[in-house]
Order: sequence, then structure tokens, then C-alpha cells
Amino acid sequence: WKKDEFRNCNQTPFCKRARTRAPHSLDAPLSLVAGSLAVSPDGALTAQLSHPSRPRPLLLRLSALPPHALRLQIDEDYSTTTPPHRRFHVPDVLLPDVDSRTLHLSKPQTVAGAAASTVALSSDLDALVNHDPFQLTVRRAGSGDPVLSFNSHGLFDFEPLHESKPEGDTWEENFRSHTDTRPRGPQSISFDVSFHGADFVYGLPEHGSTSLALRPTRGPGVEDSEPYRLFNLDVFEYLHESPFGLYGSIPFMIGHGPGTSSGFFWLNAAEMQIDVLAPGWDGAASTENGRIDTLWMAEAGVVDAFFFVGSEPKDVIKQYISVTGTPSLPQQFAVAYHQCRWNYRDEDDVAGVDAGFDEHDIPYDVLWLDIEHTDGKRYFTWDRSTFPNPEEMQRKIADKGRKMVTIVDPHMKRDSGYYLHEEATAKGYYVKDASGNDYDGWCWPGSSSYPDMLNPEIRDWWADKFSYQNYKGSTPTLYIWNDMNEPSVFNGPEVTMPRDAIHNGDVEHRELHNAYGYYFHMATSDGLVKRGEGKDRPFVLSRAFFAGSQRYGAVWTGDNSADWDHLKSSIPMVLTLGLTGITFSGADVGGFFGNPEPDLLVRWYQVGAFYPFFRGHAHHDTKRREPWLFGEQRTALMREAIHMRYSLLPYYYTLFQEASVTGVPVMRPLWLEFPDDKETYNNGEAFMVGPAILAQGIYEEGQKSVSVYLPGKELWYDLRNGSPYKGSVSHKLQVSEDSIPSFQRAGTIVPRKDRFRRSSTQMVNDPYTLVIALNSSGSAEGELYVDDGKSYDYQQGAFIHRRFIFADNKLTSINIAPDNLGKKVFSTECVIERIIVLGLSSGAKKAIIEPGNQEVEIDLGPISLRSGSRSVAPTVRRPNVRVIDDWTIRIA
Amino acid sequence: ASSQPLETLGIPPQDEAYYRGGVIKCRDGSGKFTRDQLNDDFCDCPDGTDEPGTSACPEGKFYCQNAGHSPITIFSSRVNDGICDCCDGSDEYGSNGTCKNTCWEAGKAAREKLKKKVATYKSGVVIRNQEVEKAKVALAKDEAELAKLKGEEKILQGLVDKLTEQKKLIEKAEEEERLIKEKEEKRIKEEAEKQAAEEKKAPDASQEADSEDANGNEQEGESKVSEHHDGHVTDHDNHSPEGKTSVVEHDITAGTRDDAPAETSAVPTKEQDPTSVNTEGLSKAELGRLVASRWTGENVDDVGKGDKKGHDDEFDIPEPAEAALEDEHDIPTPAEENYAGYHSEVEDDRHKYDDEELSNVSDDEYVDNHEEPDESYKSDDDQKSDYHSDLTASEQASWLDKIQQTVQNVLQKFNFFKTPVDLSEASQVRKEYDDANSKLSKIQSRITSLTDKLKQDFGKEKEFYYFYDQCFEGKEGKYIYKVCPYKKASQVEGHSSTNLGRWDKFEESYRIMHFSSGDKCWNGPDRSLKVRLRCGLNNELNGVDEPSRCEYVAVLSTPALCVEEKLKELQKKLDTTSSDLPGHDEL
Repeated sequence: WKKDEFRNCNQTPFCKRARTRAPHSLDAPLSLVAGSLAVSPDGALTAQLSHPSRPRPLLLRLSALPPHALRLQIDEDYSTTTPPHRRFHVPDVLLPDVDSRTLHLSKPQTVAGAAASTVALSSDLDALVNHDPFQLTVRRAGSGDPVLSFNSHGLFDFEPLHESKPEGDTWEENFRSHTDTRPRGPQSISFDVSFHGADFVYGLPEHGSTSLALRPTRGPGVEDSEPYRLFNLDVFEYLHESPFGLYGSIPFMIGHGPGTSSGFFWLNAAEMQIDVLAPGWDGAASTENGRIDTLWMAEAGVVDAFFFVGSEPKDVIKQYISVTGTPSLPQQFAVAYHQCRWNYRDEDDVAGVDAGFDEHDIPYDVLWLDIEHTDGKRYFTWDRSTFPNPEEMQRKIADKGRKMVTIVDPHMKRDSGYYLHEEATAKGYYVKDASGNDYDGWCWPGSSSYPDMLNPEIRDWWADKFSYQNYKGSTPTLYIWNDMNEPSVFNGPEVTMPRDAIHNGDVEHRELHNAYGYYFHMATSDGLVKRGEGKDRPFVLSRAFFAGSQRYGAVWTGDNSADWDHLKSSIPMVLTLGLTGITFSGADVGGFFGNPEPDLLVRWYQVGAFYPFFRGHAHHDTKRREPWLFGEQRTALMREAIHMRYSLLPYYYTLFQEASVTGVPVMRPLWLEFPDDKETYNNGEAFMVGPAILAQGIYEEGQKSVSVYLPGKELWYDLRNGSPYKGSVSHKLQVSEDSIPSFQRAGTIVPRKDRFRRSSTQMVNDPYTLVIALNSSGSAEGELYVDDGKSYDYQQGAFIHRRFIFADNKLTSINIAPDNLGKKVFSTECVIERIIVLGLSSGAKKAIIEPGNQEVEIDLGPISLRSGSRSVAPTVRRPNVRVIDDWTIRIA
Repeated sequence: ASSQPLETLGIPPQDEAYYRGGVIKCRDGSGKFTRDQLNDDFCDCPDGTDEPGTSACPEGKFYCQNAGHSPITIFSSRVNDGICDCCDGSDEYGSNGTCKNTCWEAGKAAREKLKKKVATYKSGVVIRNQEVEKAKVALAKDEAELAKLKGEEKILQGLVDKLTEQKKLIEKAEEEERLIKEKEEKRIKEEAEKQAAEEKKAPDASQEADSEDANGNEQEGESKVSEHHDGHVTDHDNHSPEGKTSVVEHDITAGTRDDAPAETSAVPTKEQDPTSVNTEGLSKAELGRLVASRWTGENVDDVGKGDKKGHDDEFDIPEPAEAALEDEHDIPTPAEENYAGYHSEVEDDRHKYDDEELSNVSDDEYVDNHEEPDESYKSDDDQKSDYHSDLTASEQASWLDKIQQTVQNVLQKFNFFKTPVDLSEASQVRKEYDDANSKLSKIQSRITSLTDKLKQDFGKEKEFYYFYDQCFEGKEGKYIYKVCPYKKASQVEGHSSTNLGRWDKFEESYRIMHFSSGDKCWNGPDRSLKVRLRCGLNNELNGVDEPSRCEYVAVLSTPALCVEEKLKELQKKLDTTSSDLPGHDEL
């Protein structure tokens, strides 16, 4: 990482200016134009904001989204004077139905004796609007307690667009050898947002961090710090701990404290810098208990912001998801293990690695090919000297139920012999430089141009390139990886595209920079949907992302390094992605750069096996590190880690389905499950997988013991041996090399499949194991979702969704699938072969299955089927009930 | 697909007895199970004892009989997974008829292959045995020679010692003579000088001043060089040698720029990073290449080809500067000194490398330090013939006696107390000394190379003895790979050769030859090569590959690996598979 290759706040005029401003010190604070407050025909509250020194007023619009969201939009009022350009609104990120879901607001009430109005947002929320200066506070209606406030510190500034350059001002900005012409002048926006009742704030990916909560960046006790920067960049050897921007940006923050959760989302794709202000930053002697102030600054765009209020953090996530979209449901194979390397060099290499997994009885589902598989980095082509028969190669892999992934990046080689370049040039589909020519940057292929993914027509064109006809050598089991889509431009400013490059509709790159990769990801994902005629769910991994990327596929944390700190920071990074909608994410297992010590590699597999997206990857300068290359013992440990993931696939898939409906992530911070337990608020080392499993990573070499905090009042059972541990206690545990500490929470039921196959494809008909961990009242609950794992038939009802409830010594399976989704039906002959009941008195010998009154045995059995496991828990032997049926099993 | 009863499914014949009882123990001692529980598709023993025929136990193994071919054991995870693993289809009994019995065809092909292999081994074993015999003889010869040489060395050393003694005495005598002579000459000279002294005073003084001046200049020049050199080294520390050319170039340009200090304050994080240089003034393409090289680890020399040209131009500056006299003070001095500094550094590096190599080599006690490892083997024969031509076989017996005799004579003849020293006698001693000494060093050198050879690991039966003077070549793409066991391996493209490693050792009981510590790899490890050996009639090198960056693998077929035991094993296998056949044929 080279610090001086990236702009810091001081080198960024809009940031420096806003950051050094004292509260309530603006020369021209914006205020509500008297009498302008009104309810528009579509039910939103509108008003004008103005100051005498401005060329034109601003238009404000407030709308409510049930149940607990408020949207604030502020743009210039172009009807009075017309600037040569308009401000950019980010298109195609919000769900199309957001507008239609808004509530018809009632007329605002004037607050007696003050220049302020209130408007009711729901039965329990209202908004207080102060007129001069303009301020907005979202409050709980009954108590009047503030939850979120906007501009309560008077830092709201909105640089108006200018018709022409003021005399003597060049508007140019220089950074290193690059000049940003800035022909449209300054147009930045900044404001403060306060999260009331919050102990911590979270979110704002993507930054390297070992802390889950966002650390204060300014104020007492903070030295020499930068704001969190959101600017999508390809950072070579990024730091595991830095507020500087990485590959993706999501301007969404969650504040959380006991009994309250709230969120703030600013839809803006320009460079953004956000300060988290330490208490006392504004000089206030005593601060209100539990409030976190933040300062938001963006280079361009408009205010289009959402305030979400929840009593629980999951509510906040659900509301964020309700505007940016639910995560797509991945195919089953994508949830399994992926094997990647830059590069598997040729067809023999691919065959060899594939065989290696079989030889060592290690399952994997997807083999990946990096850039070298192409003909000279021309995507959609093959290097025919190393991959002469790509279809046959894919077919051989597919014969074992496995898939392949190839990389497709946005930089198009400027080569007159390359059909894509020819087409894009002829159609004028490339992003233009400031002087109107096709922008010519440098990336892997050398001189390259970049399709303008902002334009839906160009996205359509791009999507068509994935048809089997267009993408020669592709087959139905080939999926796609989008890398370098920040976009990465080796000879551009900060290794990306110049801000004054021009997109469709005369939009400057600066205005949409953070969303470029998102549009690219979207176009690729749509391409795979098209290719499969809408029947095959796409799988596209992207490095760059923006709010809404969850709709298009998975994201990984980019080019990390093979060291312990990067292993450690992967957990807060993945958790943060999950909190901000992108649940399908993971870090490169083993670390991309450098050679992991074998012990680190093993630990990384043990931690990575819990990532929602689980892929091993490595730089081409590193030694081979397929799991069987480090001696038998370590092979066994890595196999064990991967096996654990495969056995939990039914549970993971069920969680992915939940995420696809609610947005609640698969991998969760502890406080998402235990929102009132303050101990959990800044725990970035342990995490939950769904509601039932807690795991604690090991992030130090040769660590002998670890302290694990187990929240809640119920017991926790060790996943490997069933040993019980008390809740609400920090346990000092001995660490073995066999696994990382992981537990099942009492009161939950986890569905597993314990037969290990070559890939998840062969597990389809295998029987299930249910692991029931009883709570103190002898009950437990869990769910199982199953569909065909591939198609969209589930949208027409072709799935089963069961809830298992254990109470009063009876396990009952009930159907929780909603009716009337459609005509399609999913059927399976799968049965439950084993039910392990942790916490059941071991006296039970028999179980009766109803209907049918069939009797089956109960024996003590091990919790996992490994040689040497001890029999510890009453196990119902071969109940063989079908997962698709209703039944009850009574412990006799 | 199989008519086998379910309860014995997946059990290898030798284990059938184990499963006979009514209650059967889990092999890992974790419990026991009843006969009903055998292959009931529920795992009772975590080690898989109770489920040899199903996929219920993750750690289980399934045996397929594969009549007509060879029986195999597969992971339980392969049972009824829809993929045919056993040629008899027995692993897919649950999925009706997915798998056809292909054992006959597969078995036939396998037997053909096995037959060929057996044939190869048969011939190979013969060749190998011959080589082993030859090696025994040759080794004995080598050892005998070594013993003899050591004897000769001892005697010769004695003679040389004596001659040395003589030589010293002569030299002492000569020295005394010389001193006397000198004294005399000095006296004469002094007298002459006294006479001339008074006239020559002034010019002497001016000469001294001149030389002082020159010294001063020299020192100044030196300190300048070292200054530049130091600065240079600091930068250089962050880069590996390959990146140097362009790095230096940037330093030079940076040095003349005003904004240079800002650049030098940036401390690169990675040692080998070639890219933390002043990127200003690079063309767009150069900058792109430079930044790309961080990820690819490509040599920046190649990356910045344009730079290199500019670099050369820069070094031309001093010459035109001479023409433009008024610029003389500005341009040439820094450029030239940088240039010089750069070159001397390269030299330094090379020396360092040599030193390393030498010190590595000198870890081995016997090795002659003055010989490049590369040449030592090539010159082995030369040395030998040199040695022999000098001391031809017929003469050998008498050679040592002769020299002993001569020395004896010389020594007796010489009169030490005679002054002045007899010139012809002295030169005779010197000649004898030189002769004896050169013979001694030839012998020693031969001893060294023989010792070196004999301490090598030639295998259990010395079957690799004949590898010692061999090199094997194979072509792969544009490269020719050259593997010289006990010496080194290289990759040759046209006239350029890359060292893939020096001989390290055999690994995996003589199945792999390991070469290590080859040329340093840009952004990677030192190059290394593992050559897997397998039985073949000729020594053939092929299958060279680079699975990890700069870690090469290759396969060498050689009769040395055609071991008799393995032949017997293969023969037995062939016999068994063939003997099973008639039964199958009847079907």
C-alpha cells in the first residue's frame, strides 16, 4: 500500500473544507422558505430551502415508507435558473416500486411558539422539521425521543451549480501527475447525522478493519485520523486496518444501542467521506447519553437519504433491503466450496487439481480460471494453446457435478482484431474522456477501453455476450467472475478512471464512480439469466460493489494478504458487508498475496468454512496451496473444515433463503441475535451463522487458549463433541489445532447432511441429520428450506419450507411454505436418518413416529461421525421420515 | 448391477471372516454392532466398520471386486452417488443400471498396459544390473586410485616440503647477497647525489605541490562518488536486482527534479516492489505497465522498455557535454558519477553472489574453491587426461621414483655454504620445486574431485553412479532443459541459460532428484526443480512443468528405476489378473 498514491481528506478540497468547519458556522445556512411547506399530490411533504446568496433555491421532499422509514430528497430547483448541467441522481439502484410504496402524509402541524413543524410518519414515529436553519429529527411519537437527526449541528452545506467559472478560478484539481479538469466546478454536499441512543455505529463498507464497530475518526482521543472514505479503488496490498476506501462502497450506517436501532442510507455514488465523531468533538461539555454524531461529505450528486428506525437491528436491515432489494438466492453449488488460483494454467492443470480433490476425498464444487485463460486478456476468448478444448474440459468437470467459473473484466483490449472492441467502438459504447474520445486507459491487456455500464442499452448489449453462441467455449455449467470493476485503471488517477470522463447522458464519472462496478455486475448477472432463458440462477462474483449489489451475486474482499491480521480483519469485513445487504461474501481463504504458513492456512480454512462465500484463492507468485500439499495431518484438518461446511449446507441454504426474503444476513454479528447484550456490541472476532451457530476465529499463530463470550441465558453445545457451556459467560477455552471454537445455541435445531460426496450435487438425495439442542425448558426450533437448488421454480412454489419444533418430548415438522405461490411443486424422497438430541436425559430408549405409530430405537451416538468420536447424545436411529411430510416423533 | 447380497457388500475377501459373528466390533473400538446393523445404511461405527457397502459412514471404504479387472477400494462417499467408480458398477447398486460392467474392456486394456510395463521392466532390470555391476567396478577403481593418489600425495608433499626448505635457504642466501650489494650501491649513489643536491632543490618542491593537489582532487572525487552511491543504495535496498535498471534511471531523473524529495519520503512496503518510484514523466503506457507490474510481478525492465532506451540516452550525455564547454560543470559530473556508481554496484553484487557461492561450496570440505562448480565436472575428464598425459601409464610406476631420485640428487649436490650462490644450482632447485609442486597440486586437485565424487549418494546399489558424468536434455516449448545430476539443472533458450538449481539430494527413496537454490526469481523463490524418476529403457527427460512460480518439475525415465522387486510385483499382478480370466471368458 502506498499512502501517497491515494488522496487523503486534506488533498481533497470538498472534504477538507467540510471537515474543518465548526458546528453552526456556515455563512449561508439553508432555511425553509416560509409558507412553502406543503403536501404534494402523491402524498410527500415538499418545501423550498433557500438562502439569499444562492443562485436558486433547493427543493426538499420528504416521504414515508412503511413501516419505519423516511426518505429525504434535496435537489436544486431548476425552474428558476437553469445551470448548464443537472445534478446526478443514481438510477437503477432503488427498487422500482419504492415510490409507489410511499405513504400519503397528512398535513404537517406547526409547533406552537417555534419555527418548526411536525408530521406523523406512522403510529409510533414522527418527524420534526425546524425551519431556520433547516433541521430534521425523526422521533418516537409517544415519547418524543429523537432517533435520528439531520443537521442538528448545522453542518448542512450544498454547493450550488454555477453557470460559469468565477473569475480567476480554474476549477482544476491536480493530484500527482493527474489533472482533473472539473469543467463543472464544485458541487459538493455535506451534512451531519446523529444516531440517538446508539453505543456504536456500523457499516460503510469497504475498509480493512479488525473492529466491527466503526471507530471514531475525529474528536477527543482521536489522533491524526482520516474520515472513512467511500471511493471504489483497486488498492495493491491493502492494509488490514485503514479508513481508506477499498473496492466497494455502501453509504449505509447502522446505529445500535440497548433498545434502539436505526439506520441512515445516502444514495449517492460520488466520492464520499464520512467522519464518526467522538463524544465531545463539538466542544459540548457533557454529551447526551448514547448519541453518535457523524459527518457526511460527498463530491457531487443530490441528497437522497433514508432514515430507518427499528427497535431491533434486524428491522433496520429489513427496511434498508426494502429499498435496495433482497439478496438473490444463490444456486446450491455456489454455497459450497470454490477452488481458485491465479492461474490454473491449462487443461492438464485443471484435470490434475480436480483429481487431487477426489484423491484426497475433499469435496469442492467450483473450479475457477483467472485472466490467463483468455487469449491475451480478451475476455470471452480462450488461450487455445493452453485451453484447446474448453467445452470438453467443462464437461469432464460437470460429470462430477462440478462447475467452472471464468473471469470477465470490464477493460476491453483496444485491438482492432477483437470483436468486442470493434463492436463497442462502432456503436460508441465506451466511456468517453473529457475531450469526447473513447477513454483509453491501461489494464491487463494494455491499452483498454471501458463499456459505459450506466447506459441500460449497453448493459443489454453486454448481457447478450454471455449467450452460448457469443461466448465460444462456454457451457451451461460455466459461471462468471467480475474483477477490476472499480474500475481499475493502472495509469489512471489513484489507479482508476479520471473523474472528468464522460458517461451516457453527459454524466461525469465523478458522479457515478462508486456505482460503475455495480452496473457492470448487474449487466453480467442479467447476461447469465438471459443465457439460461430465465431458468438458471446466475452466479457472478464481483469485486466492486454498491448499495444493491446483493441483487446480482456475491462479493469478496479483494486482494488480501496471507497474514494473521488479514485473517482477523476478514470477519469484521464480511460481517459489515452482511449488515449492509451483501450477505453473500467472503475473503480469499489463505490470503491472496504471499505464502501462508501452513498453520495459518489451516486456520483460514477453519474460519473460512463459515464465510457465506467460501473460496480459496492465491496470487500467481505464491506456492501451490491446494489443501493436500502440506502433509497428511494438515490435509485432514482442511478436509475436516470443508466437510463441516458441506454437512452444514442444508442449514446455510436455509439461511440464504431467509436472507433472500428479509435481508438478514447469513453470517451475523452477535448483537444481531442478542441486541440487548452490550458485551457483544464490538465483538468482531466471534460471529453467528444464522440464529443457531456461534464461532470464534483463531487469529494468532500457535494460540493455546482463547476467551469466548457466549451470549444469552441458555447453554451452548460444542459443535464437535456436544459439551455444554453456560451462556452470558466468557469462557477461557483451550485451543486445539483441530478446529476453531464453535457452538450450537440451546433452543435451536440445525439440519445437516453428514454424507460427504465429491460435490454438493451428489448430496441431493442424501438423508438428513437433525441436531436438536434443547433449551432450559426442554424445547427447540429450527427450519429447513429445500428447492431444486438451481432454477427459479421456487418463485412458483416449487420448494419445501419446514419448521421443526421440539417441545414436551415431541419433535414436530410443520409446513411453513405460504400457499398459492404458483403451480410448481418440489418433491424429494429425502429422509431424516438421524436425530441427535442434545440436552435430553439419556434414559430414552425408543421413539414413536406418528402417523403410523412406528417404533424406532434411541441410542447414544456421537455428535459428528469422525473416527474416535465419543457417543454423547441420545440419537434417534433411522426414523427415516421424509422431509417433505408432516410428522411427529415422540420420545418414549 | 451386482448380485452380491447386501450384507457382504463392499467387504474385501480378506475381511469376510471379521464380519462372521453375530455381534461385530467397530475396528476403532468405539462400540459394537449386530449383524442386522451391517450395511443397514446407518453409521454406527464412526470409522465405518459397520457400513462397508453404503455411504452412511464418512470415513468408510468400499471394496469392488471388479472381476475381469483389478479389485479396488474406494471412499464410501462414492457409493450410490450417481458416478460410476467401479468398472463392475457395484458402487452404484442403488441407481438402477446407471453403470455398465466395463471390467472386461478396461481389464483388457489394463493388462495390455501392464504387459508392456512388465516388458519394459524386464529389459530395464537387465540394463540396471549391468550398470550396477559396472558401477561397482568403477567405484572400486575410483577408490583404489584415490588411495594410490593419497599415497603419492604424501610422498610428493614430503619432497615439496624439503624443496621448500631448500628454496628458502637459497633465498635467504640470495637476500643476504642482495643486501650487501645494495648497501654498496647505495653508498655510491649517495656520494653522487651529494654532488648534485644543491642544484636540484627548486624543481623538487614544485613536484611535491603538484602531487598533493592531485591527491586532494582524488579524495574529493571519491567522496562524491560514495555520496551518490549511498543514496543510491538506500533506494536500491527496496528493489531486487532485476528491477534495477529502470529504478536507477528514475533516480537519476528524480535527482534533477525539484519535486524529488516528496517522492523519496514514501517508504515502500514491499522489498521487491519496483514501482514506488517517481512516476511523473512516465508516458501513460509506461505508468500503466509499471502499476500492472505490482500484481504480475513482471520485470520492470521488460515493463518499461521505453525507459531503457531513455536510460541509454542519458548515459550519452557526458559526451555531447564535452562539446558544449559552458555546460561542462553542470551536466556531466552527476550523471557520470551516478553511472559509475551504478556499475560498480553491479560489480559488487556479482562479487557478493560469487562469495556466497564460494562460501556455500566451501562448506563442503574438499571442494576446490577456485573451480566453478559448473566446470568442475566438465573438466573432470580433461583433468584426468591432463594428469595422465603428464604421467603416462607406462611411466607411472617409475615416475614417482624418478622424481624422488632427482630431488635427492639435487639436494645432495647443493652446497649451502658456498657464497655467492651457485646460480645454476639454485635454478635447478627452483625448477625441481616448481615441477614437484605442480605435480602435487594436480594430484591434489584430482584427489579433490575424486573425493567429491565418492562422497555422493549413488543409491542403495550405486545404480546412479553412471549419472555422475551425465546430463539429460529435454525440450518443452521454446526451452531446452538440461539436467546434470549431482551438478545442476538449467533452462536454456538460445544463448541465455537460467539456473534452475544446484544438486541438492535424492528424495522419496531415490524417486526424486531435487535441485535447489537456482537463480533468484523475480517476486518469487529461488528457482528449484524436482525430477521424478521412473523406469524406462532410455534416459529421457520430459514433462517439464512449473506448477508454482519458479518451482519446476520434470520426469526422467531411466533404467536405474527398473527395480527387480517391482518387476516381480508387476509380474505377479499380471499373472493374477490373467489367471482370473478364463472364468470370465466363459461368461
